[in-house]
Amino acid sequence: MASNSDLVSDTQRTLYPYVTGTSVVALKYKDGILMAADMGGSYGSTLRYKSIDRLKPIGKHSLLGASGEISDFQEILHYLDELILYDNMWDDGNSLGPKEVHNYLTQVMYNRRNKFNPLWNALVLGGVKNGQKYLGMVNMIGINFEDNHVATGLGNHLTRPILRDEWHENLTFEEGVKLLEKCMRVLLYRDRSAVNKIQISKITEEGATLFPPYSLKTYWEFTAFKNPTVGAEGSW
Amino acid sequence: MDQKMDFNAPHSMGTTIIGVTYNGGVVLGADSRTSTGVYVANRASDKITKLTDNVYVCRSGSAADSQVVSDYVTYFLHQHTIQLGQPATVKVAANLVRLLSYNNKNLLETGLIVGGWDKYEGGQIFGVPLGGTIVQQPFAIGGSGSSYLYGFFDQAWKEGMTKDEAEDLVKKAVSLAIARDGASGGVVRTVIINSDGVTRNFYPGDQLPLWHEELEPHNSLLDILGAPEPMNI
Repeated sequence: MASNSDLVSDTQRTLYPYVTGTSVVALKYKDGILMAADMGGSYGSTLRYKSIDRLKPIGKHSLLGASGEISDFQEILHYLDELILYDNMWDDGNSLGPKEVHNYLTQVMYNRRNKFNPLWNALVLGGVKNGQKYLGMVNMIGINFEDNHVATGLGNHLTRPILRDEWHENLTFEEGVKLLEKCMRVLLYRDRSAVNKIQISKITEEGATLFPPYSLKTYWEFTAFKNPTVGAEGSW
Repeated sequence: MDQKMDFNAPHSMGTTIIGVTYNGGVVLGADSRTSTGVYVANRASDKITKLTDNVYVCRSGSAADSQVVSDYVTYFLHQHTIQLGQPATVKVAANLVRLLSYNNKNLLETGLIVGGWDKYEGGQIFGVPLGGTIVQQPFAIGGSGSSYLYGFFDQAWKEGMTKDEAEDLVKKAVSLAIARDGASGGVVRTVIINSDGVTRNFYPGDQLPLWHEELEPHNSLLDILGAPEPMNI
């Protein structure tokens, strides 16, 4: 924890995360962006918190999803609160769109990385402004990009392949939700930090909608699951 | 034990701490063991500390770190109350704790549970674990002993308990954790906070239920053997 150099020079060094959120998955669909995340906050290997909100609307046009250290996410929300407040105070009819918010976050994340004091998060920023859909990602080392579908953490490995296969331009809302649920179900099966309580949010030109949390049904009825060692006693 | 006793090891409150909301307020509970390595430096510590008349905090982790955070927060809240002209809200108290924990996350090793009652939101519990996350919960558990209570609370917790049900739950839980966690022990202290004020309670081992493989305590074997035996040399 505290070392002599911390106390003497007042510099901060690279930290380690304590309470962490797992994957966020998002995709562009016909009317805007759909984003999904579970409500888990893990403390190492313990699934300690099961009602953490990891998807938040930002201003009128954006949605932010975060994985990684929750305290750093809460701090980022404070920064964004201030950013949106100052934007509103201009009272000039303009409002920050998703591209601008993503750029701001990228600046913050990269600068903190350069000072060896990162905000330990991977962030997904999606939104719609003036009919233009935007979906981007930025992580703790400042890597940022935009795409038609993004995911953080294990989602990158487990869900991006599914999205590459099944995503297409002009998905309907129902198709988008079904696709996200397919992704979240895979994460539930294969990510040990996943918690079965997910939130889906959408953002369109009209604004952000946060749907209520719910749980996914899972399938276990394969015969091979019921009798895994038939014909191979002693195997697992 | 052939272990060298390290009397200079930092005082750590192994600890079990709990905060539970009920219909009307909150009940905070904790064990009373403070250890220095394997030695029990204080077997009757008070880990439930007053921040204001209506907000208390349960402390776990490093004794020094949790004390200094409590002291700062008490100081700031005192000023805030004078400026505000009325009692501070639980949310403000919890957020001050969060600010200190978050901004000094490199230096501190303390997990805290802030609980209290205010006239706007009633009874509230906020967990502030390592790292400085703040999370409002209907109940919170913390400290090394809490590992043994996740399953217990998943099963035993219900919404809308009465004050007595809530205090019984807390007493039972701390006592179960003490049974299995070497770093927790001593007595069970509870603090009940509601619109009527604050009540402190104290439960030594003999007032708590006995668990698996625990036996009734006696003063001496001789009491068990019945008739007093004269010494036969």
